Amino acid sequence: MNWSAKLRPSGPAPSQAQSAKPRPTPTTAGGAAVAAAPGSPNVRATNGLKEFLWLLSDIEQPRILDLGNVSQATLNFFINKGFRISTEDILRSWKEFIASEEDSLRRMPPGQETGRISQASLAEKFLADAVSYPEENFNGVLVWDLLDYLDSELMPRLMDRLFDILRPGGVVLAMFHSRTPERYHRYRVLDTQSFEMVPTPTISVHARIFQNREILDLFGKFRSSKTFVARDQLREALFLK
Amino acid sequence: MWRKSEEANPSSKPIIKAESAAADPSPAAASLATMPANPAVPEPPSAPPASIAAPEVVSVVTDASPSQISAGLKIRGEITGTSDLWIDGDIQGKIQLTGCKLTVGPSGRIKSDIEAREINVLGTVSGNLKAAETVTLGNTGRVEGSVVTRRIAIEDGARLRGKVEMVRVEAAPAAKAAAASARSGAASAAPAEKEKS
Repeated sequence: MNWSAKLRPSGPAPSQAQSAKPRPTPTTAGGAAVAAAPGSPNVRATNGLKEFLWLLSDIEQPRILDLGNVSQATLNFFINKGFRISTEDILRSWKEFIASEEDSLRRMPPGQETGRISQASLAEKFLADAVSYPEENFNGVLVWDLLDYLDSELMPRLMDRLFDILRPGGVVLAMFHSRTPERYHRYRVLDTQSFEMVPTPTISVHARIFQNREILDLFGKFRSSKTFVARDQLREALFLK
Repeated sequence: MWRKSEEANPSSKPIIKAESAAADPSPAAASLATMPANPAVPEPPSAPPASIAAPEVVSVVTDASPSQISAGLKIRGEITGTSDLWIDGDIQGKIQLTGCKLTVGPSGRIKSDIEAREINVLGTVSGNLKAAETVTLGNTGRVEGSVVTRRIAIEDGARLRGKVEMVRVEAAPAAKAAAASARSGAASAAPAEKEKS
């Protein structure tokens, strides 16, 4: 993978530079420390987030889109770093959209059904509303592990849409499980090098485990990518437009 | 009830333009009838709830306890005022409660922009939120729109679809007052100098 899209500055590497600084204490809006203990099994180190931040570090007030569950810790983290953040809980919105469409179909009087609507057209309709941002609006998108859960018709269309709303040089942070996760998780950013995986009631079943080649195909439009594989086999991947 | 309240305290009154009440008077009347009595303002049993059904400006009383718009009440129009407000009804229209707290209850549904000192969302809001101090999204809260505030608190389970923008903390009130008085002093001195010249 070619990751020379953004040339590293002449100073120390990001990991070295960050290690020289005191590690920031994660805080909430009120300034209280985040509840997660450093040794908590749900807290994991992340190289992907560190790289994501570094890639956007030259941009003044970068705009990012968080497609996961809204989290106060994550919002505070990015806002305190000067980011402008938008949120869209894409998985939950999709589930609600499908439920609403099914409900409206059920309510139609007999004889007026327009026939079975394809998943593809539903995905198009959903994205036209849910990801209705101007083109080249964001510098970064946080996808987390949602692609493991999304409908197969929605996923490639979402990727196309994400590519459109990203500015040139924009970056996507996505994660992929290497084995079926026991639980569905929300992600809360604690600091530049760690986030917490919060077990959450499942809103969608884990749909697939991506092979590396499938991931590269899915992000085929992006010009470069970088993947980190952690001990827990969670793959963190960055894709640069 | 609301007309009586207006008479009792005419000086400080949030105004609700209840346009839709005329079109749909019965739920409004029913809802008003279920509103909790305000202990500070005695209410005669004969108070006609039909007052909200008329297409006119309707007032609610300002009191220490928040005013309430109960579930089942639909209002289409602008709400402004200087009283804390709890909304469990259905509102379509801008809400502007400068210096006050607005709570959207679990069954509250608002389709409009909201501006207040403090906004607490437990229901559904489709519109932009602008709070001078705090926006709180409860675990049942759902917001579709941008949030501009100084502080934001989001409980697990809350939904937010839109942009979040934090505004910087302004100078302390005392400093602001001093600056304002200095400005007013300069402004009053300027005409005097003009008159002299």
